[in-house]
Amino acid sequence: MNYPVWDLSTFGGGFWIAFIAVIHVYVAHFAVGGGFFLVITEMWAAREDSSEILAYVKKHTQFFLLLSVVFGAVTGVGIWFTISLLSPAGTSSLIHTFVFAFATEWVFFLGEIIAIFIYYYTFDKMAPKQHQFIGWCYVGFGWLSLFTINGIVSFMLTPGDWLTTHNFWDAFFNPTFSPALFFRTFMALMLAGLFGFVTSVYIKGKPLRDKMLKYCAVWLILPMILLVLSAFWYAAALPEAQTEMMFSLSPEIMPFLKLFTWLTPVIMLTAIFLAIRFFPVSLKKVTAFCLIIMGLLYMGSFEWMREAARKPYIIFGYTFSNSINTADLEAVTKTGILKSARWVSHKEITPENQMTAGQEIFRLMCSPCHSVGGPINDILPVTKKYPVFAMDAMINGMGKIDTYMPIFPGTKIEREALAAYIVKGLHDRPDEKTPPEPNTLVAEKIPPFNADKDEYILLAWNNTGMQTISDSDPFWSIQPPGNTIYAQLIRRGELPELVTDDVIIEYSAPPEFAFPARHVSFWSYAESLFGKTPQLDTGLTGNGLKGEMAPHPSENAFIAEMVPVVPYPENAVYNPYPVFTVTAREADSGDILATAKTVVPVSTEMGCRNCHNGNWRIDDRTGIGAVTSSDILAVHDEKTGTTLLEQAENGSPKACKSCHTPDDPKILNLSASIHGFHANYLAGMGDAACHTCHPSSPDGATRSFRGFHNSMDFSCSSCHGRMEDHALALLINEKKTGKERAETLLKYLSPKAVKKISEINPRKPWVNEPDCLHCHINFEMPDTDEVEINSRTTSESGLFRNRTDDAGIMCAACHGITHAVYPAENPFSSNRDVLQPMQYQGNAYPIGANKNCRLCHTIDMEDEMHHPNTLTMFRNTY
Amino acid sequence: MDPLSLIPSPDALPVSYGWLKALLLSTFTLHIVFMNIMVGSCIVALFSGQGKYDAANTPSVQNDLTGKLTFIVAFTINLGVAPLLFLQVLYGNFFYTSSVLMASYWLSVIPLLIIAYYSVYISKMKFQSPGPRWRFLMWLTTAIFLIIGFLFSSNMTMMLRPDTWSAYFSAPGGTILNLGDKTLWPRYLHFMTASIAAGGLFSAFLGNQRLKKGLAGNDKRIAAGMKWFTHATMLQLVIGTWFLMSLPSHISRQFIGGNTTATILFTLGFAAAIVAIFFGYKKKVRLSSVMFLITVILMVLMRDLLRTAFLKPYISLSDIPVTNDYLPMFIFIISLVIGIGVMVYMLRLTATAVKKQQNM
Repeated sequence: MNYPVWDLSTFGGGFWIAFIAVIHVYVAHFAVGGGFFLVITEMWAAREDSSEILAYVKKHTQFFLLLSVVFGAVTGVGIWFTISLLSPAGTSSLIHTFVFAFATEWVFFLGEIIAIFIYYYTFDKMAPKQHQFIGWCYVGFGWLSLFTINGIVSFMLTPGDWLTTHNFWDAFFNPTFSPALFFRTFMALMLAGLFGFVTSVYIKGKPLRDKMLKYCAVWLILPMILLVLSAFWYAAALPEAQTEMMFSLSPEIMPFLKLFTWLTPVIMLTAIFLAIRFFPVSLKKVTAFCLIIMGLLYMGSFEWMREAARKPYIIFGYTFSNSINTADLEAVTKTGILKSARWVSHKEITPENQMTAGQEIFRLMCSPCHSVGGPINDILPVTKKYPVFAMDAMINGMGKIDTYMPIFPGTKIEREALAAYIVKGLHDRPDEKTPPEPNTLVAEKIPPFNADKDEYILLAWNNTGMQTISDSDPFWSIQPPGNTIYAQLIRRGELPELVTDDVIIEYSAPPEFAFPARHVSFWSYAESLFGKTPQLDTGLTGNGLKGEMAPHPSENAFIAEMVPVVPYPENAVYNPYPVFTVTAREADSGDILATAKTVVPVSTEMGCRNCHNGNWRIDDRTGIGAVTSSDILAVHDEKTGTTLLEQAENGSPKACKSCHTPDDPKILNLSASIHGFHANYLAGMGDAACHTCHPSSPDGATRSFRGFHNSMDFSCSSCHGRMEDHALALLINEKKTGKERAETLLKYLSPKAVKKISEINPRKPWVNEPDCLHCHINFEMPDTDEVEINSRTTSESGLFRNRTDDAGIMCAACHGITHAVYPAENPFSSNRDVLQPMQYQGNAYPIGANKNCRLCHTIDMEDEMHHPNTLTMFRNTY
Repeated sequence: MDPLSLIPSPDALPVSYGWLKALLLSTFTLHIVFMNIMVGSCIVALFSGQGKYDAANTPSVQNDLTGKLTFIVAFTINLGVAPLLFLQVLYGNFFYTSSVLMASYWLSVIPLLIIAYYSVYISKMKFQSPGPRWRFLMWLTTAIFLIIGFLFSSNMTMMLRPDTWSAYFSAPGGTILNLGDKTLWPRYLHFMTASIAAGGLFSAFLGNQRLKKGLAGNDKRIAAGMKWFTHATMLQLVIGTWFLMSLPSHISRQFIGGNTTATILFTLGFAAAIVAIFFGYKKKVRLSSVMFLITVILMVLMRDLLRTAFLKPYISLSDIPVTNDYLPMFIFIISLVIGIGVMVYMLRLTATAVKKQQNM
């Protein structure tokens, strides 16, 4: 934020540092270990009085000199150059903390150069003991260089107590200083043996060559065994956060960890191969060359892991990769990136400069780790699937659950600009298509009702006004097809009664909805998903698209559970509001007592594709396509280690609730999990967060929120609270039961309706829901339209859909179901959600509104025996 | 755009800036002397025709200089590390910024240096007598060193000019050189001409060493070396004046009466150069060398005053907070003393061994 950013595009994302650092570190370790190799081999030559071995040492010294003094030294300076260009702020921090450590290392570097020059040029000029002394001086200087640099490099991964004390010595002798020092020393010695092969294999005489190859194998293998042991020590010394990043969180590390693990035996075996006399020298020459490459990969994979384990920091816990210090994060987030950064040309974002401002934010925030189309952490493939909205959400959630990326430290408008730049600027992705307008359906023909003659009132409704099913059955299922139908039959009279005996109540879907199996593949996967094999077009409860409703005397109602309706009729593309006919008959005679029609809503408009790639499955407006479905599983697998995608591809998809059960001791229940996870990405988006996944959007294909409250301009959050509060309540409940994941998901959620998380009461899904009587105190007109988030139903029986009035009539029977309470306006045809009020009263108001007691009682009534405030006129005109 | 708004805020210094400044200037002096010899030796070697100045039975000037170059390059690089480190501590917020602005060029220093360094080794190891291939490698090396020098001059001047930094916004790819700065070319040529002088002097110095060992026939070579030295230093008077005139007037005035310290240093530097020319003309190699070193020290001090003057509107080192953590510095000084002790001991062992072998 303090410095300009070198705009590298393709070669961004730390390519240059990875490139230079890996080759330098390789040669630098060889420069340390090689010193030991030279002087110890020289001593061996002296002991054996072998001029041949001594001649080899001299030759190897030349190779050593040319590689370490030239290439090693200059690339070492190169690392400095590179880090100061790629991360000037981080480099400045390091230099200011460690200036005298660097200066001391410079003294050792000078000593190394002088010693190796003398060593090389005085082979035949100095007494052996003195010459060896010079060699040991080189070794001393070289190893002290490693000692010093190790303090600085290990500090970046594990700054330890320095974070609080800011003391030089705490920084230098940090928690991984010792294991890293041993690890690197053994690595250096091992590489000495490895590079020894390169010169030994070119020795002309076979006996000496064989002898030296064997010698080099010992040099390689023994330190490598110790290296492996010190690697375990190193891993054990890592603090918890770094261990987690190293071995579970970072997606970058695993391939390198595997490479490192596999190369260990491969390198040792290669060394043994080279030491075996039998094999021809030409093959050994090629093998020695391969060994050099393997060594580079070995060293490189270690350094890569060490660097990646540090994510998302440059100095763990202190400076993020984007150069923002953790201490400044809050201030920057508040002020905004552009206003906090020095090197930007836009301080304010306007519609005109959104893209260029986004580009500047990209340069500051993303380019330190991401290239654009380059070999390192290419931003393009990982953002390809996102439209602007999803990109924005992705950035919003970054660093909160997956902590290998830093939290985005900007304002909402900056985040949107960045998202727009990535999606439109880098990918040139066109704007998202808005879904087509719902087809207008003809007004439904209303069954007749004769107030003077008809003896019965049949009220029927569904029990989930906003019902979504997933048609992603080949991959997963969040909800099987269908909705549940309720009915109550009232025998009219001065004292009307609810009838459940001696009558049957039938339901039937319109004929065009009779074949759901033609439209969704639920029936092919039902066994894998739900462990049942229902017949085609029959639901899990055994109900088909027409049939008899089961009497439930305790509720004075008839119920047809989960009638497997899907929103795909034979005669249209999409209709989420099929109108069922419900008929009451006398049980014995079969005579029709009453007929009513009711909508049984069912939608497939789950907006997974808004973020999870792919298009709508059906007609650019609804349904979950294969691409989207598999992406969800891929993300789930990546984040939690499941193998759901593989299982689905093998024909065994799973239902979400098969793991996310309410009672699992570890796994979050489905509501808590899905809301808790996504709230991190959708925080701060208001009702748009709800519309992202549910079919509630006023511009969507379903527009499920169609009840009277919608006409009053209420929104989802008016009753349910904001996404953050909604998720927090669910997570707090799960946290109470000791589920760790809840803690992770709620860590970065801030409550909206209250100040502190502790002020939010825990909530069980489908039990503690919005309570109508919270606003409608004593059934009266509300004083407020603001939800009190802790005021919820306390039990399932308290839910609107399960409750009855004082006479046993269910709330929804007279008022219509949630999200569609009377007078509701259906987006597909105006009368579809008010068929029964229209049938029985000729208006769209709740049954019995405007003192219409006569409808059931056949006479006017004076007592409010259903619930208070019934004997009034409907307040709002329609 | 207000340049002040672009200057990154500095990080706290561990010790008082005086210590760091002293370390910066002393190590930079060593670096620049070696750099001068390195670049100058290449140029002198290239333009010393085969056998022209050589005595019989001694290595040619070319071979002699390339033989030494491998060491000189190594020490130039090593001795450059220390001042670069202290520069970053004191002026990191300026230096990093200008480095990023010219990042593509700046990073190219590394591969260029590797090529030049290996090319020096190849010229030394593969060619007993300088032929066309040697010539090609030396041209390559010299060209690279001249380019690197130019890049350093560009960076060191650009870091002093925050008023030009806003060029970044139209070229964020690290491709900006400080070409619009009037001081760039005279400053660069000032350094490179000094290198030619140093190269000549170094060649003469090597000849003089031989002469002292009683090896006859080095006179021509000493004369040629001293000619390089005196002519280059004379040219330096012109370039130095150009450099002075290219400075903004409020800064150049400091060196000609406006500021006592600057004026004294400038006068001494000028006088030292004149004396050096005199000794050079008289072919007094040792005295010329001493005067050369004195001149370099004075120039390094003046260079520092110049930097301070340029940065005056933006920073004062005394205003940077200090954490007063002196122990690491003492450890460094102890390491330096012990390290130098060991190095001296190693060199003495070598000298004794070499002498012994020569006497055998």
